[in-house]
Amino acid sequence: MHTVRFTISRVADNQWHAIENDLVVGRGHATRRLDGRTFLSIDTWRDAVFHRLAAAMVADQPHDQVQYTVVDETDRDLLTNWVLAGFATWRREAEFAVPTGPSRATVRSGPSGVVITTADEAPLRELDRAIRGEVEAAAGWHTMPPEVLPWQGGTRPIDPSQYTIAVRDGRYVGLVRVATMTRRPRIGLVAVLAAEQRHGIGRALLDHVLDGLHGCGFEAATAEVDETNTAALALFEGLGARRTGTTLELIRRPGKAV
Amino acid sequence: MPRAAGGIEVEGIVVECLRNASFRVELSNGHKVLAHISGKIRKNYIKIVLEDRVLVELSPYDLDRGRIIFRYRN
Repeated sequence: MHTVRFTISRVADNQWHAIENDLVVGRGHATRRLDGRTFLSIDTWRDAVFHRLAAAMVADQPHDQVQYTVVDETDRDLLTNWVLAGFATWRREAEFAVPTGPSRATVRSGPSGVVITTADEAPLRELDRAIRGEVEAAAGWHTMPPEVLPWQGGTRPIDPSQYTIAVRDGRYVGLVRVATMTRRPRIGLVAVLAAEQRHGIGRALLDHVLDGLHGCGFEAATAEVDETNTAALALFEGLGARRTGTTLELIRRPGKAV
Repeated sequence: MPRAAGGIEVEGIVVECLRNASFRVELSNGHKVLAHISGKIRKNYIKIVLEDRVLVELSPYDLDRGRIIFRYRN
């Protein structure tokens, strides 16, 4: 049993330390993402340190600010600690490992009249805006991952080299974005215009990029899907993707006691 | 003034990905530890996969357990 002898110090604008005997026994970190949301994280081996750090970090944030954190669903101890700090589950995200090669489910023929190709920036931005307009007019982006949330100021950065697009009659109708910076590429976004959905375009886009990744020596890619998005779940499961875990995004609204 | 970390930091290689968000990491001295991902890494959606080279902070209470605090770009 530890006697509570540590102190909490804010060592930078976005960092807090729990100090005991001049050693750091806990670290808290706040990240303000480009979508405007603030995510907190705490790393310590002791629950008492966690709670003191959480209280200090929350108290140091603006009173009207909503805060977020992410936890693996199976990490019950950490999840309990965040719940005790006033956080509640906001979004459940299934993580998948998507095979690129022969273990992938049988590839069907693509939709007729649709060409899968590389992207040019101007029409890509137009498609991006159109897809965002459709979603904002319907379900909204409020639980979407950070890269698809409304941008806070300035022009949303788009790197066409990360995108593969579907074209019908010269018009961009769907896109997939893949990041290959690490040993396991990540499928960051798949989107098709509402009027073009349910024609196999999303599947064709994924088949195209997965074939390309396989040719480059990658055996699998990762993807995360909101568990309420049944169409996307079915799309990835249809590719033979293997579920590797579930990430919970937690939210703490202003006024919740710690 | 920067302070020392409460735990020991050691490099290692991920040799097994376990179901419960944990990993078996073989340290540079050959010792194997059970490690989970730090909140900071998880918050940034950094994925850890087999054979990744990582920096592990060992628990001061159990040297068979650790926390992955950095993934090297190898």
